Amino acid sequence: MATMSKGRIGEFMARQGILVAFVLFIIGFTLANQRFVDPDNILGVIRSSAILGVMALGVTFVVISGNLDLSVGSMMSFSTIVVLDLHDTLGPLLAIVAMFALTLCLGAIIGFLVGYLKLNSLIVTLGMLSAIHGLTLTWSGGQNMDIADKEGTWFSVFGQGSALGIPVPILLFLGLAALLGIVLAKTPFGRKVYAVGGNGTAATFSGIHRARVVFLCYLMSSFCVATAGLIQASRSLGSQNTVGQGLELEVLAAIILGGASLLGGSGTIFKTVIGVLILGFIQNGLLLVGLQFYVQYVVTWVIIILAVWLDIAAKRGKLWSPIA
Amino acid sequence: MKLRTLMAVTTAATAFAGTAFAAGHETMKIGITQNNVGVDSYQTTYEKSFIAAAEANDAVETVVLDAGGDVARQIAQMEDLIQQEVDAIIIWPTNGEAVIPAVRKAHSAGIPVIVTNSNIAEQGFDFVASFSGPDNITQGSRSAEIMCDKFKEMGTENEARVVQISGQPGYTTAIERAKGFEDRLPEVCPNVTLVETQPGDWNREKSQQVMEAFLVKYDDIDGVYSGDDNMGVGALNAAKAADRADGIIFVGATNFSVGYEAMENGEYWGSIYQSPVDDAEAALQTAIDVLNGEDVPFLNYFDTPKITQDNMTEFTKPVF
Repeated sequence: MATMSKGRIGEFMARQGILVAFVLFIIGFTLANQRFVDPDNILGVIRSSAILGVMALGVTFVVISGNLDLSVGSMMSFSTIVVLDLHDTLGPLLAIVAMFALTLCLGAIIGFLVGYLKLNSLIVTLGMLSAIHGLTLTWSGGQNMDIADKEGTWFSVFGQGSALGIPVPILLFLGLAALLGIVLAKTPFGRKVYAVGGNGTAATFSGIHRARVVFLCYLMSSFCVATAGLIQASRSLGSQNTVGQGLELEVLAAIILGGASLLGGSGTIFKTVIGVLILGFIQNGLLLVGLQFYVQYVVTWVIIILAVWLDIAAKRGKLWSPIA
Repeated sequence: MKLRTLMAVTTAATAFAGTAFAAGHETMKIGITQNNVGVDSYQTTYEKSFIAAAEANDAVETVVLDAGGDVARQIAQMEDLIQQEVDAIIIWPTNGEAVIPAVRKAHSAGIPVIVTNSNIAEQGFDFVASFSGPDNITQGSRSAEIMCDKFKEMGTENEARVVQISGQPGYTTAIERAKGFEDRLPEVCPNVTLVETQPGDWNREKSQQVMEAFLVKYDDIDGVYSGDDNMGVGALNAAKAADRADGIIFVGATNFSVGYEAMENGEYWGSIYQSPVDDAEAALQTAIDVLNGEDVPFLNYFDTPKITQDNMTEFTKPVF
């Protein structure tokens, strides 16, 4: 009996190691500061994480298909600046439509280069990171972008509104997560994404259009980036040109933290969401504990590496596993 | 876009070089290498104002370069300017330490170097003719005075609790403003407590998150000092979302247009008026004065006055 339940716990740990790590951190931070589990704080953290989270949902598809996307941070700056600028000339609705169209074009360009010209995704998206940043600066002329009439626009609803007591960014994040989770886990397209990332040659032999799948993954990624840009713009109603700078690495960190392999073929939307929340709660927790901020950089990454190690160790069933 | 600007600038520079040599040395040729034009509105406005001021002055020709935030590129630009034998070089350092060898090289070549906006590290001072820019320590002290005066007016100077949102860790401007504020506050308001400082990285969104955490952590916050208004408005947004903005005095630095608007709305108390136009014009004037052999102080600060809801009508709304 005892061995059986032990076996079951081990099995659970192996599957959900990252969830266990998450719970441990929550307990640790709560002991350090009771207010960590204050409902207002929890809602606040999830709301702040929503922007990063929405971006991570799209990139999860790209990563599972065996590619990378380093352009999402600067693409998010682009979306934010564009929608804020167009807001005052076209009005909110048309501005949002135009911004989504332009951002999807960027995603289509990347998808075309990686999918149909078979260029290395690291190089393409690294290049696009700079190119899109330049595009944003060209658009804005380097100026901060602000909506003139901040009180009289319904545009603020995406970042500042709430429904049923839950902030809209959280609803958008969780809604999109549920939708994309179903797409990835339950539809033929989702299975193709895993197949392309897991074993490309086998995918081709089973009649899968690899180029099309990769193209669509980048298109989904840019759709998510546009949504993130919308939340960001609506939350502050103004922005710098560098608002998304560096987020590409946080997005990847969240996805890897969730247990997806950078080599492709594994990962789930649910685990990405957990990865995003861990990052958000670590940052918030360290603020509440009040650690000196130079130390926070160090501690954040110590915790992240610790979490990855716990996850891997649980999967392997042993803590110590040297490369051999 | 940056590349195109650079190419245009280089072409223009070549053209300038031609005319300068043709006309002998009657006009002063001043080269400038900037930090990162286009990354924020302040630097964009600075460049425009610098070019406008130079064009308005017949005695001056300029070579305007931008390092794009890249130290290596800035060092290369310094070397280009030395090669072109400009009469003076103005540098907005991308990094206070790394540019020192290039500054020394210009100094050895007999070209006076004027540092603008943010100073280089002290070991490079021997090679610098003059520093032209804002005094960030004074700015920090003035912000402390603005906040303290307001507390006294409200009668809360004996119990007020303040949080600070500082600029990007490691940046001289961020460090100096924080130091000015932290040193001055206990002098003018000894009973006001600075409960915590966290960085907002000059970023509105980051600052909003930091303020959200502060609001959860502390039930009683009476004042927020932010290293610039961009962050200050982020903090204000957080407090408004939590319905706690009314009881809090917000003071910033580098008055941005968003900060000015928030002051007009009565939500934001005060800031420091630092104009990129003044900054650029002061740098050019300092270079001209140095070349004319005038006695220029080593630390040639331009004034950055206090601005609050009470006196804001004396100032025009910032363009950035």
